Amino acid sequence: MSYLLHILVMINIYAILALSLNIAVGYTGLISLCHAAFYGIGAYITTLIMINVGLSFFPALLFAAIGSLILGLIISLPSLRVRGDFFILSTLGFQIIVFVILYNWTGLTRGAFGIAGIPRPEIFGWQIITLRDFFILTQIIAMICAFLIYLLMNSPFGRALKSIREDEVAALALGKNVLKFKTQSFLIAAVFATIPGALFATYMRYIDPSSFTLMESIFILSIIIIGGTGNIKGPVMGAIFLVMLPEFLRFLQIPDSIAANMRQVIYGFLMILVLRFRPQGIWGEYKFQ
Amino acid sequence: MLSQLIANGIAVGCLYALVATGLSLIYRTTRILHVAHGAAYTVGAYLLFLFFIELQLPIVPAVVISLVLVGVFGVLMNCAVFEPLERIKAPHMIALLSSLGIYTITVNFVAMIFGNETKRLIPGIERTYHFGDIILNRMQLYQIITVFIVFPILFYLLKYTTWGRQLRAVCDNPKLALVMGINVQMIRYSVFIVGSILAGGAAMLSALDAGMDPYVGMPVFLNGAVAMIIGGVGTFGGAAAGGFFIALLQSLVVFQFSGRWIDAVTFSVLILFLVFRPEGIFGVRKRIEEGGG
Repeated sequence: MSYLLHILVMINIYAILALSLNIAVGYTGLISLCHAAFYGIGAYITTLIMINVGLSFFPALLFAAIGSLILGLIISLPSLRVRGDFFILSTLGFQIIVFVILYNWTGLTRGAFGIAGIPRPEIFGWQIITLRDFFILTQIIAMICAFLIYLLMNSPFGRALKSIREDEVAALALGKNVLKFKTQSFLIAAVFATIPGALFATYMRYIDPSSFTLMESIFILSIIIIGGTGNIKGPVMGAIFLVMLPEFLRFLQIPDSIAANMRQVIYGFLMILVLRFRPQGIWGEYKFQ
Repeated sequence: MLSQLIANGIAVGCLYALVATGLSLIYRTTRILHVAHGAAYTVGAYLLFLFFIELQLPIVPAVVISLVLVGVFGVLMNCAVFEPLERIKAPHMIALLSSLGIYTITVNFVAMIFGNETKRLIPGIERTYHFGDIILNRMQLYQIITVFIVFPILFYLLKYTTWGRQLRAVCDNPKLALVMGINVQMIRYSVFIVGSILAGGAAMLSALDAGMDPYVGMPVFLNGAVAMIIGGVGTFGGAAAGGFFIALLQSLVVFQFSGRWIDAVTFSVLILFLVFRPEGIFGVRKRIEEGGG
């Protein structure tokens, strides 16, 4: 039972990550490879504020969101000046810079040793200790995030983003400030990514930089490429599918030494097949351009 | 001390220049930012490991066979993934993401067969040569010699042969090249062969010197991509020069700060270039997304 609950908690965390990345990728057409950087910033700032300042979960998360907003501004200012391949390369560069900082700023982050003993969250007197509590908490937060993103993306703001993704020049001609909308979309994605970061840190009670690498960014992107972009269902189904997949492999008795590599090979194949035959993803609606 | 660092930088720069030139050939011809170039690098190093260590072949045939097979790997990538995408006129973004998929598959497949740990091809310490106060080991010397042999040949091929002229025509305008009767598909295959061989060759030189692990391809691809952009997407020579620039910068970073900040500095330079001089050091003023001309 606890095994199942653990998988459900991880699905919730990855579902929020995929939903938030989908704001930039699926609704605005900005393919970003630095989502794990925001995820990591969320985890680290929440942890450091909870341990060093002694604030509880939500106030600490608020600081993390502000930190992520600032980081998002720093990243988007240069990155959004270039398009296409070079936007991807620029976000990838920032992903590596953030990782190097997390890894090497040992005075603050303890580098490769990571931070242990992260306190459990407490929400309005509700002490979240057991796995069941964590599942309920992540489920509620994931549903609130999905609902907020749904509202936002079906508002006039969301429709403006979609118009930019479909035809940037046409949106510009209609008087939309394309750069402003792109920046806002990127920043909203960045802020939402701190929530799974904070959940992950307080759930695991230990974080180190190896959870927030470029491979993690690629994994989050592959969730929405395979699951689908441009709606709510795609990222959620993608997160369920890709988090469950390695667990199925476990039942096939694949030796542990190659299981992790095997999983990546399967992700790679799925990604290529989906991109070739169904570029909007299995459950998605936006085709990459 | 400084001259030694510059010498080391030049030796590493030779590797980056080979990788970046291959990447630039592929990018300019197909407009694909070919992430799996790093996969070709990993494959090159491990093919040499297979033939030289596991099958005990002498070094020269082992290298030749590996180079041929890396070329075949390039053909396979294009045949299995990029040509089908080209046929359905898929956007370049999809090709880039598929290339990321190829990289993931290849690297993890190599890791499944050979293991995740670092491997060495030649045990012990290499013979060194002294030039004044500069010390280079045998492999570093080979790296520099390789570049001095490969680049003039490549330059000649691109500048004076029919293949080179057709390739440059495709770089300028693939549609027009097709109309003029150039076999664009063949040119695309040929750049994947040549590019993969350049990456694989660089990988073999580096693996003989310092060993390798399956994940070495990604940082090499990234350095190659940074070199290509810094040098200027519009010229092949620029990519090579960018490779030397990056390598020298990195060895100065090691000298001034520490090896841990190499990646941060490299990518800060990339971002500065993307913002302030997207055409690169040698490029012509033009938005880079529109492709090199």
